[in-house]
Amino acid sequence: MGNAFSAYHPATAFAYLTCALVLAMAAMHPVCVVLSLVGAFACSCVCRSVRASVLSLAWAVPLVALVAAANVAFSATGSTELFRVGARAFYLEALVYGACSGAMLAAVLLWFSSYAACMDSESTLTLFGGVAPVVGLLASQVLRLVPQFVARGRDIQAVADAASAAAPVTKRDQGRGRLRTVSVLMGWGMEDSLVRSDSMRARGFGCGARRTTYRRHRVRRADAALIAVTLALAAVTGVGVWAACGRVSFYPRVEGLGDWWLFVPYVVFLLIPMALKAREWFLWQ
Amino acid sequence: MAIVRAEGFSFWYPLDSEGARGDAGAGGSADGRGERMAAAGRVHGEKMTALGGQAEVAVADGNVCACVDADTPASTCEPHNALCVLNGVSFALEEGEFCTVAGPSGCGKTTLLRSLKPELAPTGTCAGTVEVLGATLVRDGQRASELDARASAKGIGFVMQDPAAQIVCDTVWHELAFCLENLGMPQEAMRRRVAEVAHFFGIEPWMRARTETLSGGQMQLVNLAAVLAVRPRLLLLDEPCAQLDPHARQQFLLMLARVNRELGVTVMMATHAPEDVENLATRRLDLGDVGHMGTREEALAALRGGERTATAPPTLAGGSAAAGRPAPTGSAPIATEGSTLTASAPAAVGVPAPTGSTPAAAASPRFAAFGALRARSQGAPSPAIEAREVFFRYERSAPWVLRGLDVSVERGRVHAFVGGNGCGKTTLLKVLAGAASPQRGRVRNNLAASQALLPQDPKALLVCDTVDEELAEWQERCGYSRADVQATMERFGLADLGGRCPYDLSGGQQQKLAFAKQLLTGAQLLFLDEPTKGLDPASCAECARTVRELAEEGRTVVMVTHDLNFAAVCADTVSLVFDGELACTEPAAKFFASNLVYRPDDASRLYGALL
Repeated sequence: MGNAFSAYHPATAFAYLTCALVLAMAAMHPVCVVLSLVGAFACSCVCRSVRASVLSLAWAVPLVALVAAANVAFSATGSTELFRVGARAFYLEALVYGACSGAMLAAVLLWFSSYAACMDSESTLTLFGGVAPVVGLLASQVLRLVPQFVARGRDIQAVADAASAAAPVTKRDQGRGRLRTVSVLMGWGMEDSLVRSDSMRARGFGCGARRTTYRRHRVRRADAALIAVTLALAAVTGVGVWAACGRVSFYPRVEGLGDWWLFVPYVVFLLIPMALKAREWFLWQ
Repeated sequence: MAIVRAEGFSFWYPLDSEGARGDAGAGGSADGRGERMAAAGRVHGEKMTALGGQAEVAVADGNVCACVDADTPASTCEPHNALCVLNGVSFALEEGEFCTVAGPSGCGKTTLLRSLKPELAPTGTCAGTVEVLGATLVRDGQRASELDARASAKGIGFVMQDPAAQIVCDTVWHELAFCLENLGMPQEAMRRRVAEVAHFFGIEPWMRARTETLSGGQMQLVNLAAVLAVRPRLLLLDEPCAQLDPHARQQFLLMLARVNRELGVTVMMATHAPEDVENLATRRLDLGDVGHMGTREEALAALRGGERTATAPPTLAGGSAAAGRPAPTGSAPIATEGSTLTASAPAAVGVPAPTGSTPAAAASPRFAAFGALRARSQGAPSPAIEAREVFFRYERSAPWVLRGLDVSVERGRVHAFVGGNGCGKTTLLKVLAGAASPQRGRVRNNLAASQALLPQDPKALLVCDTVDEELAEWQERCGYSRADVQATMERFGLADLGGRCPYDLSGGQQQKLAFAKQLLTGAQLLFLDEPTKGLDPASCAECARTVRELAEEGRTVVMVTHDLNFAAVCADTVSLVFDGELACTEPAAKFFASNLVYRPDDASRLYGALL
């Protein structure tokens, strides 16, 4: 079960998620922030899984609460007094502003998690491999080596633990155990890198020819259409959000939220992943 | 016209540390010189009968010399303070030939093959002439760069020993396309090449797989395919099967045969086991003593003959004192006298009757504990390890690797586990060693306090800068002496390599080093995961002798191996692991006698080396 964008060229996912991220980061407006957070959650549901998205609420909700509480505690501005501790007053406006900041942060993080799910190494390579083939190759290698390093570290530790005949006797030895694992890992990794660089040279890496790429970067008509719709909606949304953000103020009182129709393009924009998923589901029925 | 031609090609590695470190790291073959090689004397080769009957054995005459500070310079250009690995090698290969390069570890196989590929050519001094694909690489000792990087990548394919380390990309398709991308091939042509080669090797089903998830055999096939996608005229392989299990090795060699026969690619392959490809090879180049064949009966008689008359394990009583060995805590140097000890009462083969503690041992408090342990075991011979109903899986959603496995390993025995790929052998070893704990069932290890584990990849153990330091790493903890280290090094043929970095050793030497390191701990229980991987027959035989002597000393050895010949000569008990359970457990002789598929060879070089 792929993500909502898996049937399309990676450029579509890239365009959509980048626009969504920019909008989420740019719009400090209560309505926009709520829309963005809900949209990010929904997108995460269709790009990752419902289960993973619900689990991510476990950090998102405390994050919003924490930022809101911090803002109330540190910002003593506003007009609607909530409560008073000694001479210090705590205001509703500060709470709203804090909640908005927290929600914005949570939304951005959720958008990023969707981005990571949709844009794996291959997709990144497809997009940027043509521009910078060597960078693409580097990314491909790093993606291969990180899991290998982790697995090897575990192996080395297991071997050391299993050798009870050579178990550390002194406290000092025990302390060195971890360091030793890292040291073995480094030696092993460096040795492998020598072999790998030999293998690369033997296969003509850096032989002077201009590198080509195996992957086809073909943007089909459906991809182009989707990208066009995404960018157009994002542009219209951008204008609306810009207008709304110009009017809103949090202090001394939250006002100037703007007309409802300013946010319609944003809602439509945020519905795109759901629409893609629904279409996919519908086609399979 | 010859596709490869060498005339009087000699090669010296510089011995000043810097240079030697650098290129041996790449080549890893400047070793194994010295007495062992000199003692091997003149190289000799057997006549090989190939398919067409026209196979010939080219013997690189006198390719065994150590000319450190060359006192008798053979040629005028012989450098000082250099290590000679190849001396006057001459041969010529025609297009479409299949040549095996044989010889013991460190005889210069890798150096020779690398010298034929300009980008991989080791640094050092050359003499003679080398021509590849009509271009001169070395002319009268001077390097000539007639073959540029692009032509070399196109014309000469090179496959190395380690399947995983030479893979560059994260997915199989990218790996296959890697070289073509480097050469700037247009996309249409590239896709066609990759499609063809994937089809030829039958790797279409895993085209999109991550390279990390492949087995060693699959990885090596991908490496071969990736090299062949470029359509080279010459294929150089440096012990490509050393890390593979027998099944994967056969698969690989089968593909290699098709590459040679159907595609007409000239193949030059270094190997420890030229007999594997003797019906393919049209030519064999022996760079040293390749050993001779022997039969299993002879090997068994040679290895266990002494035991039939010995009763006491050789570590005990006066034996150890006479042999001048240290207390058995650090009993790494296992005296060969052990097997020739004659004593009064006959004992069952391979089951040493433990006797009391030794006077020497009384001095060592550590040994006193062993003595007590042993005394206990005398009273009630509890098994070393007992596992009941063991279930194990790596993740909650993963399938079971071990399902309800029962096993009991007796003390003082060599217990071998054999079985196909992915049957759970290595997992079983980890569970028995306590490196992984079962989700269900129970493992009782009575020797858990004194055990050591030789991992599948010896690099997981190597941490120091030199071989000497490596072996001395646990000296304080385990209480063995400098003399023990020295004796162990002698025994494993590492004596000349004390100052070398462990990573500069060849794969087989690393394996021996790791084994030696674990032996020095003096553990009573040894877990060995594929101890003979990548070893030449002589080292393999040494390994077998060591394992037998450990058992004679009363130590317990649990090993997982693909090498049935090795299991046949040194195991007491053999278990067949299948589908996460033990299909059967029987004494070695009985086990192999009743098997149709899991059978050792009747004759092999390993047996020959044991005589």
